[in-house]
Amino acid sequence: MIDNGLLVQMLIGALLGVSVYLPLAAGQLSLATPAFYAVGGTLAALLSTTWPALGAGADGSFPLASFLLELLLGGLLAGVLALLVGRLVLRLQGIYLAIATIALVEIVRVAILNLPFTGGAIGIFGIPQPFPTAAGYLLPALGLLALAGWVCQRLEVMPLGRAMAAIRNDELAARCMGIDTTRVKLTAFVLSAVLAGSTGALAAHFLNTWNARQGSFDTAVTMLAFVILGGSRSWLGPVLGGLLLTALPELLRPVGDVRLVLFGLVILLGPSVFPQGLINPGLLERLGRLGERAEREPQP
Amino acid sequence: MQHRRQRGALRLAVLLASGIAGLALLGQQANPAAKAVPAALAPDGALTIGAVIALTGNANLYGQDQRLGIDLARRWSLSQSPQRPLRLQLEDGGSDEATAIAGFNLLINQGALALIGPTLSQQAFAADPIAQRRGVPVVAPSNTAKGIPQIGHFISRVSAQSSVIAPLSIAEALRRDPAIQRVAVIYAQDDAYSTAETLIFQKALTARRLPPVTVQRVQLADNDFQIPITAALQLQPQLVVISVQAVAGGNLIRQLRELGYRGQIVVGNGLNTPNIYPICQRWCDGILIAQAYSPELDTPINRSFQRLYQGVRPGQPPSQIAAQAFAAYQVLFEAVQRLQRRGGLAGISLGQAREALMAELLGGQYDTPLGPIHFTPDGEVVQGRFYVAQVRMDPGGRSGRFALIRNATAPAASPPER
Repeated sequence: MIDNGLLVQMLIGALLGVSVYLPLAAGQLSLATPAFYAVGGTLAALLSTTWPALGAGADGSFPLASFLLELLLGGLLAGVLALLVGRLVLRLQGIYLAIATIALVEIVRVAILNLPFTGGAIGIFGIPQPFPTAAGYLLPALGLLALAGWVCQRLEVMPLGRAMAAIRNDELAARCMGIDTTRVKLTAFVLSAVLAGSTGALAAHFLNTWNARQGSFDTAVTMLAFVILGGSRSWLGPVLGGLLLTALPELLRPVGDVRLVLFGLVILLGPSVFPQGLINPGLLERLGRLGERAEREPQP
Repeated sequence: MQHRRQRGALRLAVLLASGIAGLALLGQQANPAAKAVPAALAPDGALTIGAVIALTGNANLYGQDQRLGIDLARRWSLSQSPQRPLRLQLEDGGSDEATAIAGFNLLINQGALALIGPTLSQQAFAADPIAQRRGVPVVAPSNTAKGIPQIGHFISRVSAQSSVIAPLSIAEALRRDPAIQRVAVIYAQDDAYSTAETLIFQKALTARRLPPVTVQRVQLADNDFQIPITAALQLQPQLVVISVQAVAGGNLIRQLRELGYRGQIVVGNGLNTPNIYPICQRWCDGILIAQAYSPELDTPINRSFQRLYQGVRPGQPPSQIAAQAFAAYQVLFEAVQRLQRRGGLAGISLGQAREALMAELLGGQYDTPLGPIHFTPDGEVVQGRFYVAQVRMDPGGRSGRFALIRNATAPAASPPER
């Protein structure tokens, strides 16, 4: 059964999925999410273990206010980094952007591995805990996801979101219509980074330890799988993909050694059965129409 | 259309949110620590020992040996006519932090009395605090990083720290060739174990007035080592000291020999598994390694272990990793039996049983395949004997063995942490 610890991991997966989705909603295949996730996590791990002003207790406890402050700072630092990097890399498109962002992930990973204060390969451990049990992390993770979902849902009707959709459909046409494509793409990139940074800060506390391996190219591939399985046309796709794909290896434990084979099969078969992802515009439309039919039916 | 889609998304979001809320409620299961421990003779009298071992990911080379070691210990324990039967529940801990945490949570929620694992030190830093907070004893079979027992009172290990073992092989290399002047060091810089171990090697070298002429850094996932090897060989080393994990290490040694190095090679604990033989084949021959276990130790318990091992893998000597996993299960088994004999498990809750077991575990003396061991009050293992071995490959170069060349007595007690 799904215990609260696993549920928190699933929510972290969903948050990272949304973070990959945001640039994708503006047509940009960016794999930089793990880099920002690692930045946020490292910042939280460093602050909570080395800065006494945050109030980490000798018994490993941590004030909730400091934890929330870290979520904010993690997102902020990642956002600033994204602003600086985004100006450069967003000039690239398609596969070139993907490669540039992979390079960013590698740079951040190697930097964290070699910086004198990030603990090298062992990383930072003994991260203090704001909650006595894993269940405590549910609320901040859900809150973050609700916030991200609200922003994404609002984006669909806001000029910014419309501009992102226009760029995704045809960047050149969008520019001809007078959309400042660079600004729109950069905004999506920064939003994605802020979300990943905050998620990293949350994950650092949840995992008790943080090291350079948390944000690697492998993580980027896993996050991309969330979006591909879930669907990239709605923010709910990556949420569902992240929840399912994080839970699946754990739920498959009873089958024993072949569980990762089955997991691989799901990743392989999912996109071939649902080419647009589990959550596609058609499904959403049917869902939206459900009530209408019922209202109409009584009238002959 | 857009409007409908928006409404559909909203409905789906509400559906998902209520699903998550439902899962959160269902996940709030009763803590099994409050349940009473059943009587020994009751039909459900067996107590569960959980093991979280890397069966997938890049640490699975160790995990497979650990699974075997634990299973052999379980079979051995059945032959000891236990007064309190134990049940083993093995879960895959993967090679990452999240999977190890999930494995620990699962077993603790299912009421495991104690846990064995996880395989990697990095995983231990993530998963052990959970067991500590919930008061579940953990015996680590292979965590050698600094600071593992210090995670808390409930965390202990049977794997001696590399700071105790590693320098012994350097001493052996210098005994064989006292004229060594130039030493090259190679290590995997993205691996917690290797970076910690290489510092110990380098400290031991410096203590003998042999500061390395070069320190080359490689990555765990590398398989082409020509650049670091060429750089090292230009300085004409007479001894090469390597700290990497098994797969990379096998390739590294092979390429080192292929590129013309003829001197001695000392390797660290990452290569302490017969699984490297198929990788570096005949090029493995002659490498020196200090071990916490020797198949050639002649004690009754090691002979029993060997006999069981030969039944599963005929003709192969057991590895240190398997022996340490055996020891991890053995110490838990013996501690539970002692507790049972003293009546310490009668009429208490699972939470109290976990606490009692931890105290019993730390207080005992154990005769394991590793030799006699006991624990310091904070859970660090104190091991009396260590071994220096040399790899001897068969003429075909497909299989080989760690031949014991020296029996080293450990310092009176493990040096303190930090």
